Amino acid sequence: MNILVCVKQVIDPDKIEYSPATKTVKRNPQHLMNNPADLNALEFALRIKDTFPDSRVYTLSMGALECKERIKELVELGVDEAILLSDKRLAGSDASATSYALSCAIESLGKFDLILCGEHSLDGETSIVPPQLAEYLGICHLTSIVDIKPKDQNTLEVVKKIENALARFEVKLPVLLSVKKDSNSVRFPKLSFMIRALLYEPMILSLDSLKDIDVKRIGLEGSKTTVDEFKEEKIENFSCEIFEQGSFKEIECIVDAVLKYI
Amino acid sequence: MDYFLSEEQKVIKRLAKRISDEVISKVAGKYDKEGIFPRDILDLLAYTELTGVYIPKEYGGFGGGVMEMCLVVEELSRNCAGIAVSYAATALGAYPIMLYGTQEQKEKYLTKIAKGEAIAAFALTEADAGSDVSNIKTVAEKNGDFYILNGNKHWITNGGEADIYVVFAVTDKSKGPRGISAFIVEKGYEGFYFGKKEDKMGIRASSTTELVFENCKVPKENLLGREGTGFIIAMKTFDRTRPGVAAMAVGIAQGAYEHALKYAKERVQFGQPLSSFQAIQHMLADMYINIEAARALLYSTCKMIDSGAKDYTKESSACKVFASDVAMKVTIDAVQIMGGNGYVKDYPVEKMMRDAKVTQIFEGANQIQRNIIASEIVKEL
Ligand SMILES: Cc1cc2nc3c(=O)[nH]c(=O)nc-3n(C[C@H](O)[C@H](O)[C@H](O)COP(=O)(O)OP(=O)(O)OC[C@H]3O[C@@H](n4cnc5c(N)ncnc54)[C@H](O)[C@@H]3O)c2cc1C
Repeated sequence: MNILVCVKQVIDPDKIEYSPATKTVKRNPQHLMNNPADLNALEFALRIKDTFPDSRVYTLSMGALECKERIKELVELGVDEAILLSDKRLAGSDASATSYALSCAIESLGKFDLILCGEHSLDGETSIVPPQLAEYLGICHLTSIVDIKPKDQNTLEVVKKIENALARFEVKLPVLLSVKKDSNSVRFPKLSFMIRALLYEPMILSLDSLKDIDVKRIGLEGSKTTVDEFKEEKIENFSCEIFEQGSFKEIECIVDAVLKYI
Repeated sequence: MDYFLSEEQKVIKRLAKRISDEVISKVAGKYDKEGIFPRDILDLLAYTELTGVYIPKEYGGFGGGVMEMCLVVEELSRNCAGIAVSYAATALGAYPIMLYGTQEQKEKYLTKIAKGEAIAAFALTEADAGSDVSNIKTVAEKNGDFYILNGNKHWITNGGEADIYVVFAVTDKSKGPRGISAFIVEKGYEGFYFGKKEDKMGIRASSTTELVFENCKVPKENLLGREGTGFIIAMKTFDRTRPGVAAMAVGIAQGAYEHALKYAKERVQFGQPLSSFQAIQHMLADMYINIEAARALLYSTCKMIDSGAKDYTKESSACKVFASDVAMKVTIDAVQIMGGNGYVKDYPVEKMMRDAKVTQIFEGANQIQRNIIASEIVKEL
């Protein structure tokens, strides 16, 4: 099975800085991280590879060359090849322009049986890239996925979360799935993969290497949305509850509840 | 401080640190309190391939040496020395096989150890033979294709949990230390049982038990080296594994220092953080100086051993003594800096102080190490 996982490098929310002038987030390369939901998507891909070891897992990222260091972390987890679509002309792309650019990159890379994305990125939060990407590629898609199990080389069993319900589907490949954050626990790297990552250079794609791309549909110019205003939201209403003499078990429950919100 | 580790060594340290901080720190208190053997963590170390860092490539390992082993032990010990020692004791059991095993023994046992499919142990100590190693009473008598082992071993780390035991027994009583031999004994061999499990002060996540041999049949091909070389095998193994105890000590000290430093910056008394008082600052400075000195001695000893040097007994003993004394001092000071909170189990430093103590005792108590160092330096005169 050929699996492609789209992984965005986003700014660590703890270190985020806004630029009111450009109405964007400042992209300090030192503060980049791999988007958490995308890592959950990658984990499902790697689990399929555990079941079918002949599978190849690729990742595709779009961003500046500074993303390379974070992309190495994907190789540390066991990705076979990591690809970075990087071109100055892509700067300022909105979700629609991004999906178009990604779809062109995917088409130039070849055929994939399964494309996985995180449901949304920490910085954009639009959740529309995966469905749009599937539309551009003309393949079936499902969103809000919390579990994926391969049935055979052509069929997957997937579980989709809808509000408080879970729906189970059997899907034939090819398909694009977007995975909810925290739907699995991402594995640790292996030493041999980490050693491989030391010298690994992601494959860099520029727009010039993509056939038939319409550069008018990418970047700021090709974007259909613009940000009118960028405001940091101040959370002012803190409430505090004091639990006295709680048992260890109760404290654990409280900690679990709190952790869900951070 | 930059220790000029190779890129690969930095990767090993980074991976072990991640496991230590993200997994071990969360379970250390519970495993210590309940004496839980860290099988799950050993499985994770196996998955991440850290179990094989010191094992040659031809047996499925990473091909590193004592340095690589120590980097893992140090990082794991920053959060739980009990868990770290469960890992390190396998190295203590693997080294005699690496140093003296036949090709068949190495292939059979080291490949499993490297993959984390088997854990190992080293069984020398007995009730009447602690520091006085040559006084062991366990005997091995040759009978056809087998050696028959009889006797008891005490204080065996990974006892009951390990799959492979390197056991020392007397094959010729008349020859003193030259009459001791080493054997590879597998869990499940006829006549091999586990006795009392120790209820310890520290490193409580590790298992320490008695081993009982009652007419235990060990195939003759499981003799390690030649008959009568057991004492040498034990000593040469210790030369390579004492830095592991030093690494454990450096890790414990580093962990305690980090907790104390953070606490000193946060805890306010007399309107100021503790870290602004000179009495506390000097303690923190001494901790830092001692830990860095211990680590420097440890890493240079590891480099010396891995370079293929012939004799490093005194260096190996010196780093064990120095680092374990540092761990004891640093953890006591960390408890002091944290006051009452240092003395209760809500914070990890009281555990670190208990854990540190054993580094001055096992793999040769520090008094014995000083004897060894002294005899080496006097010999050199
Ligand atoms: C938690 C734990 C795990 C262990 N794991 C293992 C293991 O995996 N395998 C194994 O084989 N052993 C193991 N041991 C045993 C350990 O190596 C011994 O405890 C250690 O060598 C000291 O021996 P002893 O306890 O009999 O003390 P003793 O030899 O009775 O010594 C008691 C004290 O007297 C001092 N002393 C003794 N002789 C002299 C001397 N000549 N000069 C000056 N001072 C002296 C010692 O330094 C010590 O302070 C373990 C011990 C512990 C506590």
